[in-house]
Amino acid sequence: MSGEKKPEPPGVLGKPGGLYDSVHMTRRQADLLALGAIALLAVVLALVLLFGRGGFTVSFDPNGGTDAAPCQVQYGETVPLPEDPSREGYAFTGWYTDDGCTEPWDPMGPVTDNLTLYAGWEKTA
Amino acid sequence: MTGYFKRKAEEYRALDQLDRRRYWVDGLLNNALYILMAVFIIFTAVVNKNFLSASSIANVVILAAASLPMALGIGGCIVLTGTDLSGGRVFGLTAAMAAAFLQNRMATKLIFEHLPNTTGAWIFAVLVIVMLAGAVIGLVNGFFVAKFSLHPFIVTLATQLITYGIILMFFQINGNGGGPISNVAQEFKNVVSGPVIRIASKNVSIPWYVIYAFLLVIVMWFVWNKTTFGKNMFAVGSNAEAARVSGVNVFKTTVMVHTLAGALYGFAGFVEAARLGSITAATGLNNECDAIAACVIGGVSFVGGTGNIGGIVVGVFVLRIIFVALNMLGINPNLQFIIKGAIILAACSLDMRKYLVRK
Repeated sequence: MSGEKKPEPPGVLGKPGGLYDSVHMTRRQADLLALGAIALLAVVLALVLLFGRGGFTVSFDPNGGTDAAPCQVQYGETVPLPEDPSREGYAFTGWYTDDGCTEPWDPMGPVTDNLTLYAGWEKTA
Repeated sequence: MTGYFKRKAEEYRALDQLDRRRYWVDGLLNNALYILMAVFIIFTAVVNKNFLSASSIANVVILAAASLPMALGIGGCIVLTGTDLSGGRVFGLTAAMAAAFLQNRMATKLIFEHLPNTTGAWIFAVLVIVMLAGAVIGLVNGFFVAKFSLHPFIVTLATQLITYGIILMFFQINGNGGGPISNVAQEFKNVVSGPVIRIASKNVSIPWYVIYAFLLVIVMWFVWNKTTFGKNMFAVGSNAEAARVSGVNVFKTTVMVHTLAGALYGFAGFVEAARLGSITAATGLNNECDAIAACVIGGVSFVGGTGNIGGIVVGVFVLRIIFVALNMLGINPNLQFIIKGAIILAACSLDMRKYLVRK
């Protein structure tokens, strides 16, 4: 007996069926389970496509002018720009993608993410 | 090719009623996930014409390249019938380390004040450091799994938490107070996320890390298929007892698989630091779930001992295509987690069914 190696316990890694070693199921049950899981995934996808298409939020920062309501835009579509805001003593110069009003927003450009547009103003007399 | 189909048709004609039914049920269920995805992709392409544009396809490739290293690492753990839940956090820690070591030296707020300037040698040294850091955590995982036969789910759950603790402390260094680590050096960005191919007319720009991911796939294919280590890994995965009897060092193989996985998360974190340029403590959260899902979709079975690199690549791409598609359909990002969960559940059920049928 001396010198003979003690057999190691089989442990988790010893199971030939891996994670499913202790699963006992008939073929029919396995078919049904797989079918059910696929159906669940299909239903989730369908529900998400039906009700989850919120699109992206485009908000407008009037920068001191009259408020404009935010809107939802689907990917790749253009922003339905609101009526030009107004501000006492200023002229509206357009919408910009940064609050410093250096990058003008292209009205024909597609929306690819949530977006905030800033109103640009120029002082009049 | 026609010979193949002719042979298949003859085989099919030889089947009796019951076997024919089985043939269709098997065929449909084994490919159900791919069929569903194909329908979904066609739907997306019809709804949003931009989905099949060059820039959108390039986007899928770029995102897939960024998530490939992790999937390649976790794939090995799944082949051993285990998994690795610490992956996402190791990724986050190594990304934070890479960002901190490679900050722009001119920046005002630095995590480490005294570091070499960002030269090529230092960038390479940081790559080695973060891969080693990942490997050390992988080594701990592998040691506990192999030495004490603890289930990898438990061991890696523990290291996941420990690693998160280390991440939170790392973000406190030098009065950083848990804020994001940003101001990553431009030289570092240039060699990792800088463009290697640029087609301005199509608005396409392929970064360097796509090339690196491609090379990594080749290296990992070689490791899995052509080395003794790879063959031992599959032997241990399909039946550890049998592998031990036939002289495979199960302990060493298990430790090495986990260590290699850790090193690959380190590589992924290194790329992420350059890609995002700003790393927060939440970076990498749940990334291991994506990688596990990609592996299971790609046919790396939880039964152990089965799977191949090509499958993992396909799985990563399928998953990325789905998420780019969901984004293009303007789906609320919060709902994407629910879909991810449903995908994992479906892929696992199909995987289990395959195993039961074979048995």
